[in-house]
Amino acid sequence: MIVHRIAGICLYFCLTVLFVQQHASAHGGVVEEGDLCVMKVNYLRAHFKIYQPRVAGHEQYCEDIPVASESVFVMEYQHDSLSDMSVDFRIIRDVTGKGRFARIEDIDGISDLESATVFYRPPAVEPDVYMINYEFIEEGDFIGVVSAKHPETGKVYAAVFPFEVGFTGLGYWPFFIGLLVLIQLQYLLMSGRLKRWFGNKTVTTASAIVCLLMFAPKSFADDLIVTYTTPDGDLAINKMHGWILHIETSAGLEIEGAIVDVEGGMPEHDHGLPTKPRVTEELGGGDYKLDGMRFHMSGYWEVVVSITTDSGISIITIPLQL
Amino acid sequence: MLQSLWLESLPKLPPDPSNAVADNPAAAEFGRQLFFDARLSANGDVSCATCHQQELRFTDGLQKAQATGTTARHTPSIVGTAYSPWQFWDGRRDSQWSQALGPLEDTNEHATSRAQVVNLITDDPEYRATYESLFGALPDWSDSDSVMLNTAFANIGKSIAAFERTVLPTKSRFDEYVQAIVDHDADRQRQLFSDDEVRGLRLFIGKANCMQCHNGPLFTNHEFHNTGVISFPGDVPDTARVAGVREVMANEFNCRGLYSDDVELRCAELDFARTGVELIGAFKTPSLRNLENTEPFMHKGQIGTIADVLNHYNEAPDAMIGHNEAKPLGLDKRELGQIEAFLKTLAAPVFVETS
Repeated sequence: MIVHRIAGICLYFCLTVLFVQQHASAHGGVVEEGDLCVMKVNYLRAHFKIYQPRVAGHEQYCEDIPVASESVFVMEYQHDSLSDMSVDFRIIRDVTGKGRFARIEDIDGISDLESATVFYRPPAVEPDVYMINYEFIEEGDFIGVVSAKHPETGKVYAAVFPFEVGFTGLGYWPFFIGLLVLIQLQYLLMSGRLKRWFGNKTVTTASAIVCLLMFAPKSFADDLIVTYTTPDGDLAINKMHGWILHIETSAGLEIEGAIVDVEGGMPEHDHGLPTKPRVTEELGGGDYKLDGMRFHMSGYWEVVVSITTDSGISIITIPLQL
Repeated sequence: MLQSLWLESLPKLPPDPSNAVADNPAAAEFGRQLFFDARLSANGDVSCATCHQQELRFTDGLQKAQATGTTARHTPSIVGTAYSPWQFWDGRRDSQWSQALGPLEDTNEHATSRAQVVNLITDDPEYRATYESLFGALPDWSDSDSVMLNTAFANIGKSIAAFERTVLPTKSRFDEYVQAIVDHDADRQRQLFSDDEVRGLRLFIGKANCMQCHNGPLFTNHEFHNTGVISFPGDVPDTARVAGVREVMANEFNCRGLYSDDVELRCAELDFARTGVELIGAFKTPSLRNLENTEPFMHKGQIGTIADVLNHYNEAPDAMIGHNEAKPLGLDKRELGQIEAFLKTLAAPVFVETS
């Protein structure tokens, strides 16, 4: 029973993802995925948000914004390629008559794009995050057009997102209808009706396979034990220092010739180490010299050591309270 | 824990092997004169002290600095910056001397050029004599990109840095309070700190999590954090350290560059510097010593008062770009007032000679 239920929940999430993806391609540019607002520029994705910092502080909007005011559009790349691409950003008054269904073909069909344009930022490569700031002087329907040019192929990818300034609501009814369908589907699955219609095994097996595909663990090598010493004295914050890592198997066999990578951070603060430490020398006998360590805050840290040997990868987390 | 914040715990100045005159008193005196000399600007009105005003604890009281133009960010203090491996809000320089060169050529600050700066030293007999006694004969340069010109320009930065190294924090009421604790002198403790200040200190080191970044005797870890400060009117949010680290890696005056005096090029900070998207919107933690008369606060002076800064950290709103590392604190108004009372005990003005 529990297996069926887990499989059911899994299928539900998979269906949600599928639905949202279809919704995105039909929408043409910006879409809400769970809590996240995503802009799709063809296969490229960016976390998209709009702020009106002078009137709404840190409040985020996905497409429609409440008033004509200073508006900051932000695209945080989820796809590295965007950081190399030359991106331009245009906002036009909606002269297409298509409203929320405007597509790139409709934009291409505008005879005098310049006179419809209220804001244009020429192509620029922004390596980290793409942002524009535009102060709307009137409310109404607008269309955003983002184009990204591939640095090698020269191909241009575009995203179009119609939006309203002075938004009064009623923008997402198709999304909510879709959500209702999903909830109904989930009810059918959980209540067992779907199984009665399609056969118990088919549904459970299909769901279990999807689950396995989604959550299949990576393969790990044998149990390894990592210990460390700090030749520069006790651990202290704000001081760059080195560690000696000692790696052996649980049976006491010293590990030599491994590739050892070290990351670390404070899980409670969602940030990493202030430095990028690395193993600078293998000392033999399972010892590795790790340089460039520094902790800059007191509190709970985790140092994550990845050890790659011929028999696989082991990831070992060293907890530290500083 | 309190002793870790005590000024008595401040270690000796870390050496700067990239600057051969870092601890040379004659260079420091030369640097002091240059710091206050407005001829080091395109319009003859701007010196380093135009924005780093000592009566305002080496800041200027403005949101963004006003020099030959309006700068991109708020003027930070220079007190104790010799202890920081990184300079500027985004750490785009890795020494005090390379920092000092930046504003001289920035069109919104001194708006001068390295050639003009070196010419000023060459044409002023007193400056020229001082320069040549420290660094040898001024070069005969003709090409504005020449190594000789850059060397002379770097030497001017190294002199200013030798002066700035001497601008260090002084003992505050808080430091006397820790002394009284060390001495087990309860009467003196009561004389020095009110109940609110004691409670504020407890919150500072405890529930309010301030010490996670504002730690050590300078009340800073010299590192970079995104704390979700709102954008400045008319600006897009500032990407900060993620761009700063790229700039310092590429800067010709960095620790690995031709103009460093360290022949061994010991540049651990650059060697192990972290890069990447985690640093989007992350700014260097400022010291909390001497906050009074340094309003407004934050990298573009977005927040006007200490009370509002504390409100900001209490709420910890989502960051506009990147993510806010701070979490909401759930402190009440009285507790926020107590932290503010404690922060004011860190006042200890620093003064230097101006003439």
